[in-house]
Amino acid sequence: MAVAVMTESAVVGKWTAAPGAHEIVTGEARYCPDIRLPGMLCGKLLYSPYARARIVKLDVSKAREMPGVIATITHADIPGENSYLYAEPDQPLLVVDEVRFQGDAVAAVAAVDEQTADAALAAIDVEYEELPGIFDPLEAMQPGADQILPGHDNVMMSQMYRTGNVDAAIASADVVIENVYRTQWAEQAFLETEGGVGLVDANGGITVYSSCQAPHRDRMQIARALRMPESMVRVITPYIGGAFGAKDEAHVQIHAGLLAHAAQRPVHLIRERRESILTHVKRHPMTIECTTAATAKGELLAVKARVIADAGPYTNSTHEVLGRTGEFIGGPYKVPNLEVEKIGVRTNNPICGAFRGFGAPQAAFVCESQMDDLARKLGMDPLEIRLLNGVDTGTKMYTGVVLREASAMKASLDRAAEMIEWDKRDQFERKPASHLRRGWGIATILKGTGLGRSLLDHAGVVLEMHRDGSVVLQSSAADMGQGIITVMAQLAAERLGVDMSAIRVIRADTSRSPDAGPTCASRQTMVSGNAVIRAADEIRDTLLTLAVRKTKIEKDRLDLRAGRLTVDGKPHEMSVNDLALRAANWGYPLHAESLVHFEYPDDAPPGDYRFSQEVFQFCTQVAQVLVDCETGQVTVERLIAVHDAGKMINPGGVYGQIEGGVAQGIGYALTEELLVEEGLTKNPSLENYVIPMAFDIPEIEMEVLEIPEPFGAPLGAKGIAEAPIIPTAPAIRNAIYDAIDKPLYELPMTAERVLAVS
Amino acid sequence: MAEMDIKLNVNGTQQEVSANPDKTLLYLLRDNLGLTGTKDGCSSGDCGACVVMLDGRPVNSCMVLAAQVEGSTVLTIEGLAENGNLHPVQRTFGETWAFQCGFCTPGMLISCYALLESNDDPTREEILTAIAGNFCRCTGYQGVVKAVQQAAAELRAANGGGGND
Repeated sequence: MAVAVMTESAVVGKWTAAPGAHEIVTGEARYCPDIRLPGMLCGKLLYSPYARARIVKLDVSKAREMPGVIATITHADIPGENSYLYAEPDQPLLVVDEVRFQGDAVAAVAAVDEQTADAALAAIDVEYEELPGIFDPLEAMQPGADQILPGHDNVMMSQMYRTGNVDAAIASADVVIENVYRTQWAEQAFLETEGGVGLVDANGGITVYSSCQAPHRDRMQIARALRMPESMVRVITPYIGGAFGAKDEAHVQIHAGLLAHAAQRPVHLIRERRESILTHVKRHPMTIECTTAATAKGELLAVKARVIADAGPYTNSTHEVLGRTGEFIGGPYKVPNLEVEKIGVRTNNPICGAFRGFGAPQAAFVCESQMDDLARKLGMDPLEIRLLNGVDTGTKMYTGVVLREASAMKASLDRAAEMIEWDKRDQFERKPASHLRRGWGIATILKGTGLGRSLLDHAGVVLEMHRDGSVVLQSSAADMGQGIITVMAQLAAERLGVDMSAIRVIRADTSRSPDAGPTCASRQTMVSGNAVIRAADEIRDTLLTLAVRKTKIEKDRLDLRAGRLTVDGKPHEMSVNDLALRAANWGYPLHAESLVHFEYPDDAPPGDYRFSQEVFQFCTQVAQVLVDCETGQVTVERLIAVHDAGKMINPGGVYGQIEGGVAQGIGYALTEELLVEEGLTKNPSLENYVIPMAFDIPEIEMEVLEIPEPFGAPLGAKGIAEAPIIPTAPAIRNAIYDAIDKPLYELPMTAERVLAVS
Repeated sequence: MAEMDIKLNVNGTQQEVSANPDKTLLYLLRDNLGLTGTKDGCSSGDCGACVVMLDGRPVNSCMVLAAQVEGSTVLTIEGLAENGNLHPVQRTFGETWAFQCGFCTPGMLISCYALLESNDDPTREEILTAIAGNFCRCTGYQGVVKAVQQAAAELRAANGGGGND
């Protein structure tokens, strides 16, 4: 029997700086706007000043004749498909005959410098016939309403999901809570605006540097727009300055490829801030009617909801976002009867799509507000009603999914309550001044990880150890700052027994690294993490085989750790580098490629929620607020966030995701709102779209529960990225209710709205 | 508009550039001098990604015109390390995860550097004041506060000042 090998990890779970930290703090990190190439042109797009208009005339001849203008393109110049090809091919890259929202582009130019490009845009002769737009989803839903997209119903989706008998349950209930909620258009506001740099390769293909979340999907989209085989298109992601969902869809990278192809020169296409806010997808504004029914003891009997989402004119990810709203509308609770109707409507308003949380923040605002309203009506404590109805490991959800590990639901509630001293909150001053009111609010959620059942959800990596023991890891998992590169480097270092500094991660390059799918749905730690482990274990096995050959010691007594071979946990004289050199000399390849599929069980009976996820993030947040009844101003005094991350691989990243998500959640709760009138955004700037700055965010009190995830996880880890933004708004809403004794049903809870009810 | 010749000192090196007088200092640095470390987040003075030291004060370089910087001294993120040695706050930024995507970092670091130049023991409030104009969408600024406090402690220790750690 071999002596037990040390199991304490050497790298995983330890605080470590990100591999790119040095480049970032010295200014050496290159993002799309920083790329400079010889002969590079400035690309620009021309947008319509109207939300809806017919194009009567589009004449680019004057622009084409201008000195210094190298390429001018309209829809007629696109060699292949004139479509973003995201979910449905209904959004044109360049408009053909009708502008359907303020972000539709009609032409693109590439010129020697910015001034010339601006002059070229001004020289394009476009005659519009403004059309009456449809800006109210309810109006768009009316039978006989003018079709936003000819041949397509304005109701782009209308789905009902039912389990149990909701109406009978409501009829038999002791208490019924019925409310209508409204949420706003919200802006991702990543600090690096969307950008792409296109260039023509030596072989006539196109390379695009792209600030994106899904490099391989970009490649497909660019190839099809150019009518080129994908083998001729290469997408590289440099450093990415944030994304939060809005860089999952393509933005300007396809246009950068088209312009480079037309100009046969490199083209730099970077959106300005105003342009960025006017064009990319927003978080869907939703109107949600919700009825919650319970017994007199507070046991949930039914949830019935009708969700109407304003999608803007094009499909984008509305089906998927609304799918998640429906999947989480009942929250982390045992709901025996549930009915949710999800309606996505086309309008001439801003286009909506992915934003961190992907439909779940709207659902949580409704669900967690309903729970507090229910608790009040029953005279119950908000914590008690949540613990009473909360899910457990083994609970069969209203979606049909059986939760494999859900102990964090109640554990996070208990711990958050303990941290804020929930039971003692009445000992604090509730009315510190005649105009001030203090209150406490709690919210708890679950959020799935991974793309979901019935969908392709995979990632691959290529890993190679060189003769000197240094390692190159190639992956197409986009790191927009959330930290997947650190996670992958840690996992590789752990399994190969080397220091983090030995691992060099090459950022996504579709000509070198295999597809890792999109970086979204908090999925990369699980899929790409597993791919790294699989590849690293192959190399590790080769190294250990060589070690056996040299030392004649059985393999199960050997390990690789801190750069050395170990025997029964004790360092041996041979280093990992010695083994790597031996492998090179003896012809053992230290090269491994892996492809990992997120395996979903296929035992879901028909009628279950089709795209349900299998791994869930649980978390609880508690807000303590101070409301100024004279101004309506809400100050978040304390914010407790208790999150389950499974096993933490990269603590800096995990705490960073929680802190940053909460900060975004505070903005979503209190101030962030795009003001849209007749389809036009009135506040497209970082000055007027109000995002919390350093002084607006309290010192967030975080705790991470490490409950190992049993399902397909690398070392028990799971995703963390989306959950933190989700419970913040309802926790603050419930705290305001507690403070001023008046409920709010609309986001954001601006000073004006608070003042109106207080 | 006729270009003008502008002399200025950037990161310790005397430079002479020709630029339109209405070009911003931000793009003078990025385009004329190839110093792309300083970032453009909004071009309207709202985000602080472009903060540089101008004659000893932190400024939004997108709000300063080329015509205003004749004879000035500028320090950018590229000039913060001395002889290849990182300034303590550059190192602690990495250690505390004071950034995620890193796009706000050049401006944020310069704001923090400016604070540390005049205050080697800043409180949380003083740090928040120093970065009040620096927008970060990824974090909640807690790593920044930690990084500045750690760097301040190192600076005090290095200066032999009365550090209490």
